[in-house]
Formats: sequence, structure tokens, C-alpha cells
Amino acid sequence: MPDDGVPETANAGGTGDVSIRELTELRELLFGGERRQLDELRRRLDTTEITPEELAEKLPQAIVQRAARDRQLAIALAPTVENAISESVRRNPHEIATAIFPVLGPSIRKAIAETMAGLVNTINRAIEHSFSPQGIRWRVESWRTGVPFAQIVMRHSLVYRVEQVFLVHAGTGLLLAHVPEGTSDDADLISGMLTAIGDFVNDSFEPKQTGELRTFCAGDLTVIVEPGPQAYVAAVVRGQPPDTLPTKLQTTLETIHLQWSNPLESFQGDASGFVTTKPLLDDCIETVLASDRAARQQGLKRFAWVIPVVLLLAAVTWWGTRGRRQWDAALTRLEAEPGITVIRAEREDGKWQLTGMRDPLATNPALLLASRGVDSTDVVARWEPYISTEPALVLARARRVLAPPGGVTLKLDGDVLVVEGRAPAVWIVRAESLAPALAGVGSVDLSRMTPGLPADMESLASAIERRHVLFAPGSDVLDEAALATTVTIASQFADIVSAARTHRFGLALQVVGRADPTGTERDNLALSRRRASAVRDRLIALGVAATQLTVDATGSNDPLPADSPAEHARLNRSASFAVQARPAAPTSGSERQR
Amino acid sequence: MIQKKVCMVGVYGTGKTSLVQRYVHSLFSAKYHSTVGVKIDRKAVELGGTTVNLLLWDVEGRTADQDIPASYLRGAHAVFYVADGTRRDTFEQLFDLREHARAAAGDVPSVVALNKADLKEQWLLTPADSAKLITAGFHVLSTSAKTGDGVEDAFRQIATATMSAAPTQPVQPPVRHGN
Repeated sequence: MPDDGVPETANAGGTGDVSIRELTELRELLFGGERRQLDELRRRLDTTEITPEELAEKLPQAIVQRAARDRQLAIALAPTVENAISESVRRNPHEIATAIFPVLGPSIRKAIAETMAGLVNTINRAIEHSFSPQGIRWRVESWRTGVPFAQIVMRHSLVYRVEQVFLVHAGTGLLLAHVPEGTSDDADLISGMLTAIGDFVNDSFEPKQTGELRTFCAGDLTVIVEPGPQAYVAAVVRGQPPDTLPTKLQTTLETIHLQWSNPLESFQGDASGFVTTKPLLDDCIETVLASDRAARQQGLKRFAWVIPVVLLLAAVTWWGTRGRRQWDAALTRLEAEPGITVIRAEREDGKWQLTGMRDPLATNPALLLASRGVDSTDVVARWEPYISTEPALVLARARRVLAPPGGVTLKLDGDVLVVEGRAPAVWIVRAESLAPALAGVGSVDLSRMTPGLPADMESLASAIERRHVLFAPGSDVLDEAALATTVTIASQFADIVSAARTHRFGLALQVVGRADPTGTERDNLALSRRRASAVRDRLIALGVAATQLTVDATGSNDPLPADSPAEHARLNRSASFAVQARPAAPTSGSERQR
Repeated sequence: MIQKKVCMVGVYGTGKTSLVQRYVHSLFSAKYHSTVGVKIDRKAVELGGTTVNLLLWDVEGRTADQDIPASYLRGAHAVFYVADGTRRDTFEQLFDLREHARAAAGDVPSVVALNKADLKEQWLLTPADSAKLITAGFHVLSTSAKTGDGVEDAFRQIATATMSAAPTQPVQPPVRHGN
């Protein structure tokens, strides 16, 4: 019981009681107010507790002050707040759910959308890298170094450059800041247009339900827009922007919103206050290079690896069926070949078994198959010989037997062998007798044959045959003039031999020794023989083949004609010449090569 | 650097783009009109030692089928109305256009350029019409994109209007918040 501070007086007696009561009343009248104040002060001094009323008065202010000073209040309140929330959720979850729904819904949608976008991006890149040659190389690298493949991909593929960053006032589309400095004089126009395009997309496609224009690409340039309530950031990125870039831009934008909230709210066109945001924006400018990454793959180039793979597959398929196709083609060709008849062709014991008939003059089947790419060791062939009457074979046989000189053609008209051209008479006679004996030839038509040498050989031959090597009477010694003549003849004969080779003629030079009519016939014959031999020896010495020279002696018989007896004698003391064309020897061997 | 967003507003074919074309710095081609519906150009105006960059949103003109997109007008510091002196409808629609712009951008300063002053003899507008505009609170000018008469003046006036109507508030130093 607190003392009231009034001295206690004796209170015994009636009059005393009255006076005391009066005194009390007086005291109350004089000091009542002060006394009550005094009582209140004493109470406060005696008790340290604060009344709820006082607390209600002071609490908001106290919280603000303390929160501004340090984080103690938050730390102190956190467990209580957590408990309160969990208690509230436990008791009535609906209440909290309703309260936070407007915030939660869009946040969740945004988070899911961003996660999905990042995931799709990652999957795309993973697929892209898994099947490219580069991807395979990285797999090898991963296997070799023991570093997970994902990390290898990250290490190699993060190539991009943030070239420009714009900070734009959302309400007006006016440029607040732009980095790097001096990269674009028209940054203000670009930021305006970016805003207009954003508005355009919003107006046209009503994406407000799901978000705003965030990213757009042109070639290898990507513009990433991070929207905020007062301003937005737009980054121009060359290359493949990493998934972390939007987050980085978002953080930057949040910082700007926080630290420049007043300038943003009161922005009226003066961007000078935002110069200080540039260091923050500069942090977003970055170039990430992967030194061993080749030129960026774009568009179809990315699928360039498909081409060699397809080609390889095609080659393998082609190679697999190549043997069979080659064989079929070669067999068709073989069956079409004159003089060859295939009776059976089968694959047995891993080899091609061929049975058939073959004219000896037909093409060698093994060579034909080889020329078509068939391995000869892969073929076992058995050919029965037969005589084919196919025109090609009949002609081949005729050519082989008759050995026609150049300029002579052989044709088959039914079973008539038509021979046309110019040939030595001796060949014509031989052809006439031999041809009808050939299989497939009924008769021979030689009506279009002209006997004789071909024209160029004819003139060379007559030039030789006009010459005579003259001797002195009774002599078989070549004098100077005779030596000169033999040189000319040797040279002319060489010419005609070379011409004969092109016409496929055999050729011989007959040296005929002569003598004038004086003396006995026997002596003359011997003399003429010595003269012919002397000329022959001389010609051999001059390089004429001995096999091409024949010697004949006439003595004074069969003399060369002359105008006068003296001339006659002089002309016949000589050796004269005859060029003898012979058919070329028949082709030797049984194979005819095409 | 002071920047102001100015929207060029008018009926289709009044010469907004022509007014802009010769007197401003253009980066984008006129095809933006048909694609995005707006083209942004810059006009720098010197006002007493201060350069004001007017970012001119040359919005595609109103047609019978299509109104001017409100989103392009949002945040404008001023509106530059353009009417064609030779076409009465372009004048009559100014009042409605102003309502449209006010709804999107608020009550911002404006000027009205009665364009094609070079064709005065063909004009269908009378002094009474101008008076009607002035009474309605418009600031009226006569311009000719062809001769250039009044164009610089119009840009200067609108720049002045943006500066005086809402004086640029000094940007305060950034407020640092605790984490």
C-alpha cells in the first residue's frame, strides 16, 4: 500500500474528526491534482513494465528505427513469423493460399517458362553436339580426360559476345543509358524503336497474358530484353547467348530499380542522372571465346556432316551389291559376244561356274570378264570349241586365212564373201581358191578387185625398176656410176618397204643379172650371175635385208629392148630390178584381240 | 542530355512524314510505317544553350479502318498534331484525335501544324476554323513541308512547350538501400 504522503495525525475525538475531515477536503482542493500526478510518477518509478497502450503507441516507430539500424529485429522476429505462418497454414491453408495467389501464380508460370526455355536450349545444344563430328571429338576428349561430357560441351560451346546494352525508360521508350560508349550514335532511336516493337508485339499478339517480348534473333544476333516496371534492359548478343545471361540482366535491372528508384519515377527526359548506371551495365558487356572452336556453324552448315555419312552409306551399299551387278553386266556382255555361247552360269562353292561353247577365233572370255571388273580367280569356266558361222566370226576367219593386204576390205553378204580393193594378182588367185573352203562362206565375189600394188607403192616400184646398174664389157665390177646407182636403189627400196609395211604387204627385190649378146651363152649366163651377185652384195652392204633380195641371171636371153645395137649391148651389160609384192604371211596364233 | 518523346499525330496523308523527313535525323526507313506502324526519328533543338533531343514517334496516320495505336502514344511528352489545310476532315478529326491522345498520354503540351501552307489558294480552312482551334486550347501554326516554312519554328515551339510544361526534375542521387 503506497503512502499517501500526508502525515498521520491523531484522529481520536469528535471535534477532532470534523476538523480532520475538513482539513482533508481542503487539502484535496488545494493539492489534489498535483497529488495524483505525484502518485502516477511514483507508480511509474516503482514499476518497469510498459502498458499495452504505451507499446501500441510506440511500436511502429520503434520497428522502423530498429530496422533502419541493423538486422536484429528481423533476426528476432524470424522464428516467430515462421511459427506464425506455419501455424496459420496448419490451421487454415486456404487463407494464405488466397492471399499469395496473385503473386504466386505469375511467379510460378515465369519460373516454369524460364526453366523450360533453358531446358529446351540445353537439349537442342546437346543434340546438336551429340551428332556432329565436333560432338564426337568432344566425347573422345571427355573419355580421355575423364571430365564429364556436359562440362566439355560447356567449355567449348560458350562462345558469345554481348555487344551493346541499352537501359530504356519503360514509359516513354527514351534511352537512359547505353554501353559501350560511342558504339552507336542512334542508340536513342534504337531504344525508341525497340519499345515500339515491343508495343507492336503486345498490341498484335496480346502476349500480356504470358509475358512480354523477351528475345528475338536475326542471323547470329540475338536481342535479349529483360523487362521491369520502370525500365527495361536490352542486350545485343552475337553468337549463342548462355542461359545465365537473362538472369544476369535481370539482376542488373533489379539493382537499377532499387538504387535509382527516385530518378526513374521522376524521369522527365533528362538521362544525365543515369550515367552512373553505366558501370553496372558495363558488367554485362562480355566476350566469351573458346579458342579451339572453329567458325560458328549456322543453318544448314550444322548438318554438313550428314553429307559424308550419306555418301559413306551409299558407298557401302554400292560396294556390297557391286560384285553381283558387275557379274550380271559382264555375263550379258559375254552372251552378246559373237562366237561365244553361254550354256550355264551359276554360283557354286563361292565361285562362278561357267559352261559354254567358244569359237577359237572369238574373244578370250577370261579377258572380256576381266575387262568388266570380274576377278578371274572367282570364275571357273569350261569352254567347248566349235565353229561359229556368225558373220563376225566368218569374217574374222577369212581375214586370218586370206591375210588381205591394206586397202582390201572383206564383207559378208549372206554367205557370199565380197572382196574389194587392190591387191597383187597372186593374192587374188589365192583368195579365189581359199575362200570357198572357209566355214560359213558359200562363194567368193572378187569382181571388184583390181590386181596390182597400191598407187603409192606402184610409183616407187616403177622408179626402181627403171634403173639399171651398168657394167663394162666382160666385167662384174661395180664402177663409180654403178656404185652411185646402187645407193639410189637401196634408198628407194627402203621407201617402198616402209610403204609396204603400212599396206601389210610382203616385199622382195629381185636382182636380174644380164649380159650383152657377145660371147658364148654359157659365159654370158655366168657373167650375168656374177653381176647380179655383185649388186646383191652391194645392196646388203648398203643395209638391205638379205632375205628381201633374190638373184636371177638371164645371160643374154630375154634382153632388154633398145633402139640401136650399141645401146642394146650397153643396156644389157647390167643388172636390172623387179619389185615383187607378196601377200603378208597369214596371222599366226589362234587368238584374235579386239 | 534532355530527351522528349513527341508523337506526330494526324489523319493519314496530312504530311507528318514529310514534315519529319527533311528536318530530322532518320535511321529507319519509311517501310517501318507499313510494318510496325511507327518510325522513330530524332530532331535536336537548341533552346538557350540546352540541346533538347526530340524523339519523334512518327505514327502511321489514322485511316477510316485503323486508329492510332494507343500504346505508341503512351508516355509522350508532347503531341504534334498535323492537319492538311486542303482537307477539312483532317481538321475536324483533330478534336477526336486529341481525345484519343489524352486518353493514352494524358494532358501533355501540343501544337497543331496546319500543313501544306504552300497550297494556300486551295485551302478549305478559314480563319474562323483556326480561331475555333485556338479556342479549344490548341496552339496553331501554319507549316509547309514543301517549302520548309514554319517547320523549324514548329519543332522549336514544341520543344519549348515540353521544357516549360513539365520542368525536368533534377535527378536525385541514387538512393542506396540496405540489403
